[in-house]
Amino acid sequence: MTASKSLTGSEPGRGPGEAPGITTPEAGEITRTAPPLRVALATLTANRTALAGIIIIVLMLGFSFIGPLFYHTNQISTNLPASLRPPGGAHPLGTDNEGYDVLGRLMIAGQSSLEVGLAAAVVATMIGVFYGAISGFAGGLLDGVMMRLVDGLLSIPTIFLLIFLFTVYSASTLLLVLVIGLVAWLVPARLIRAETLSLRTREYVQAVRVVGGTRRRMIIRHIIPNAIGTIMVNATFQVADAILALASLGFLGLGVQPPATNWGAMLSTGVNYVYAGDWWLIYPAGVAILLTVMAFNAVGDGLRDVFEVRLKRR
Amino acid sequence: MLSYSLRRTAQGLIVVLVVSFLTFIEAHLMPGSPARAILGVHASQAQIEAFNVENGYNRSLPVQYWDYLGRLVHGNLGFSYQQNQTVAALLGERLPATVVLVGLSVVVALLLMIPISMLQAARRNRLTDYALTGVAFLLYAMPEFWLGLMLILLFAEKIRLFPPVAPQGNVPQILSHPAGLVLPVATLALGSLAVFTRYLRSSLLDNLTEDYVRTARSKGAGEWRVMLRHVFRNALLPIITLVGLSLPGILGGALITESVFNYPGMGLLYWNSALSQDYPVMLGVTMVVGLATIAGNLIADVLYAVADPRVRYGRL
Repeated sequence: MTASKSLTGSEPGRGPGEAPGITTPEAGEITRTAPPLRVALATLTANRTALAGIIIIVLMLGFSFIGPLFYHTNQISTNLPASLRPPGGAHPLGTDNEGYDVLGRLMIAGQSSLEVGLAAAVVATMIGVFYGAISGFAGGLLDGVMMRLVDGLLSIPTIFLLIFLFTVYSASTLLLVLVIGLVAWLVPARLIRAETLSLRTREYVQAVRVVGGTRRRMIIRHIIPNAIGTIMVNATFQVADAILALASLGFLGLGVQPPATNWGAMLSTGVNYVYAGDWWLIYPAGVAILLTVMAFNAVGDGLRDVFEVRLKRR
Repeated sequence: MLSYSLRRTAQGLIVVLVVSFLTFIEAHLMPGSPARAILGVHASQAQIEAFNVENGYNRSLPVQYWDYLGRLVHGNLGFSYQQNQTVAALLGERLPATVVLVGLSVVVALLLMIPISMLQAARRNRLTDYALTGVAFLLYAMPEFWLGLMLILLFAEKIRLFPPVAPQGNVPQILSHPAGLVLPVATLALGSLAVFTRYLRSSLLDNLTEDYVRTARSKGAGEWRVMLRHVFRNALLPIITLVGLSLPGILGGALITESVFNYPGMGLLYWNSALSQDYPVMLGVTMVVGLATIAGNLIADVLYAVADPRVRYGRL
């Protein structure tokens, strides 16, 4: 019984990777195995928490990217006479201190939060995968040097690095993605290195060398595809972490240039009005972060069941 | 045991070197030149040149790094021209306050972790377990500043139980106002608690499937005896490593918590220095935070080796 299985509330008695409708063949029975992708999808959707996570992510994406097509608000110029209106009437979630409609702003903020979260996870995963694979494959002194660099970077908390970089450079979406991605690749690098260490000794990887294949081929065609489970599980958690990091940066007032915003930046303005009782400035954005991060974590846990990856998070 | 500790310490020292190299690079990432970034836009060319000569910035990079290492070894973390104080002196005031905050919250998280995870493991896959898991999931996804804010709203505004701002001053002054410590410590502890219970619960469940549990049960031991006398001891071991590994996250959380509650620690110092672009302080704090994490991990690994002899004979 793994941690994630029961955490995500999958039914007891069903092993990981076993989805409903996929039966174990009896002795002598010939069965056609279902395509791996379908098995993965069936397992993932059979896990109720992971399914809920997927639904929430789809809803959040729809809300942020399709919502503004139907709900038109002015999110470019401030409208001070209409500031701090409580919910009701033309503004279902009220207006903020600069007169922006909060519901509309939540959608715009969601776009940048989700964009940055997803893109930073991709950047972090790509760097981490190649770095880890090369380090694990090289072994010896190079591996030692590469991994001590990871240890060193890991011992400085992410937020300290992020604050430093944003004090030095002014913010843009691209920079946010690169910077969050650049401080987040360390964990995937470690995980992939560990996978590579065990995979490189396997016979089918050694066989590549026997038939004259290059090391690059071994890494790209054999090691990375076999570590795909670990990679995907970690990438999903990376999205959640990137959204949280972005929120913390937004709270500190870093990484956003008005009128652009994200959920963390929305909360940061809300904090100033918390004692005035303007709840609509803090709860909607807070709940959006909470739901999205929980959803990605739930899907990550579900994927771990699919790939039967018994890795410890962080 | 000794050779393991020595090997592990040597490895830690190499990582310290890496961190010092990283902060050295950071110093050279500063806008313009270090002199311009530290002295500000109004400094004259002559002042900049004098500064460069005085601090060795006119020498080659490897020599500069060597000098920087030499200063670090002597406890010289730099000088804050804005506050006209050495960084070491500034840290001397703030570091103990952060140690109090982080230490208390880790202790609180560890103490709460034990009964909660045991209850979850004993009532696994039942309502209590699901409810507690749900709470952990929620806390895990909650940004620290948001959690801190919610606690302030609830316990400082609605029911006026604790003050919304942390006590000020040095460590004895902070400790003399325990009520002011409650909310900052709770904010930091709840985040770690979510991670710790997730881990201990799964560790307990993994151990419950071991052969020695079946043996204990066959000898007539009840559920709680098995849990307390057998499973718990084995499951608790990996938590030592987990605490060590969580340190960077906890220190990062401390920075946010300190800025929410205006707690006079190292994180707030770092954040205020970022606001005033006081780079020498930022670099000094980064170095000390890195050192603290490496030391924490080292202590955790050595403690683990003390607790579990198998580690010593395995791979490093």
